[in-house]
Amino acid sequence: MTVSDHELLGRALDGDEDSFTALYRRRQGAVFRFALQMTGDVVVAEDVTQEVFLTLLEHGRRFDTARGTVASFLYGIARNLVRRRIEKERVTEAEATTEEFAGDEDLLEDLTRRETIHQVRRAVLSLPAAYREAVVLCDLQDLSYQEAAEALECPVGTVRSRLNRARAILAQKLSSAARSTR
Amino acid sequence: MSEERIVEALRALAESDRDRGASPEVETHLRQAFRRRLAARPWKRAGLLWATAGATAAAAIVAGIVLFSGGRKSPVAAPSVSAQVQQAAPVVEPAPPVSRPVRRPARVRPAMPRELATDFFPLTDVALPFEHGEMVRVTVPAATMLTVGLPVPEERLADPIQADVLIGEEGLARAIRFVRLQQ
Repeated sequence: MTVSDHELLGRALDGDEDSFTALYRRRQGAVFRFALQMTGDVVVAEDVTQEVFLTLLEHGRRFDTARGTVASFLYGIARNLVRRRIEKERVTEAEATTEEFAGDEDLLEDLTRRETIHQVRRAVLSLPAAYREAVVLCDLQDLSYQEAAEALECPVGTVRSRLNRARAILAQKLSSAARSTR
Repeated sequence: MSEERIVEALRALAESDRDRGASPEVETHLRQAFRRRLAARPWKRAGLLWATAGATAAAAIVAGIVLFSGGRKSPVAAPSVSAQVQQAAPVVEPAPPVSRPVRRPARVRPAMPRELATDFFPLTDVALPFEHGEMVRVTVPAATMLTVGLPVPEERLADPIQADVLIGEEGLARAIRFVRLQQ
């Protein structure tokens, strides 16, 4: 039987290193990918992953089952750390909404898979942070709206609207990218 | 470009990242940090024991002063205000009727309830200046202790416990301490 995240966390906070390691191995990938997809930087993603689990050791007692899952709690910590990094490094977010929409149904046929992934990653990274979080959590990390809302500490409706807006911006950006590669 | 295409493109990105994770060095660093924390714990435990002993001694001294000063105090009786919030102001019970003073029986002192309280834990992220305020006693679920980092066994999370909340002039709860009454 699989031990729940909550149980592993409790044991880890009581001093059980194996439980801490098990929880880390179960959740580090998601935390790392979230940080990577938010920042586009592997080194920052590793730093954030390490800080998230250090924070969990320090403040894990604050976890409240009534407010969400351990995974949401970890995403919440990661989100705060990523935001701090983004603000610190002054990542430009302003260019997100200026490009025109041009319906291009053949983008995926036009680009190789690798190019597509590169373009999509760049487009995601250029989204404003609030929209980027919604896309990363819901579309890339495959969280439900409810789980994303818990991690982002906002209502489910806000997640939905941010996601819709983010997808519209991505459509603009990817269409422009497709035009420029022709 | 349609939303379906966008979602499809995002899936391709998610798929390409699917097996990515932090390097093994991160796990090594974290396990070292875990062991360092564990090694530092006995000091914390000792500190907690001293703090508990100090609080108990302080409570005993206060109880002693009350006993020998001849005054008779009642346990804190708190009228319900709202949502389980109770004022901490003590209410003095009326003196019992005095019987004929034929023979004075040995005086049995009522057991004084002793209050064991934790330190105050701040409830605000920023240390705001505090000049005047009010302290109210509330009943909260034991799970509240988790919010300030105090351990609570899982099976006791819903148990009601007493707490004193320090409220600033502006009405914000500034700090909380947890109280236990011992007979």
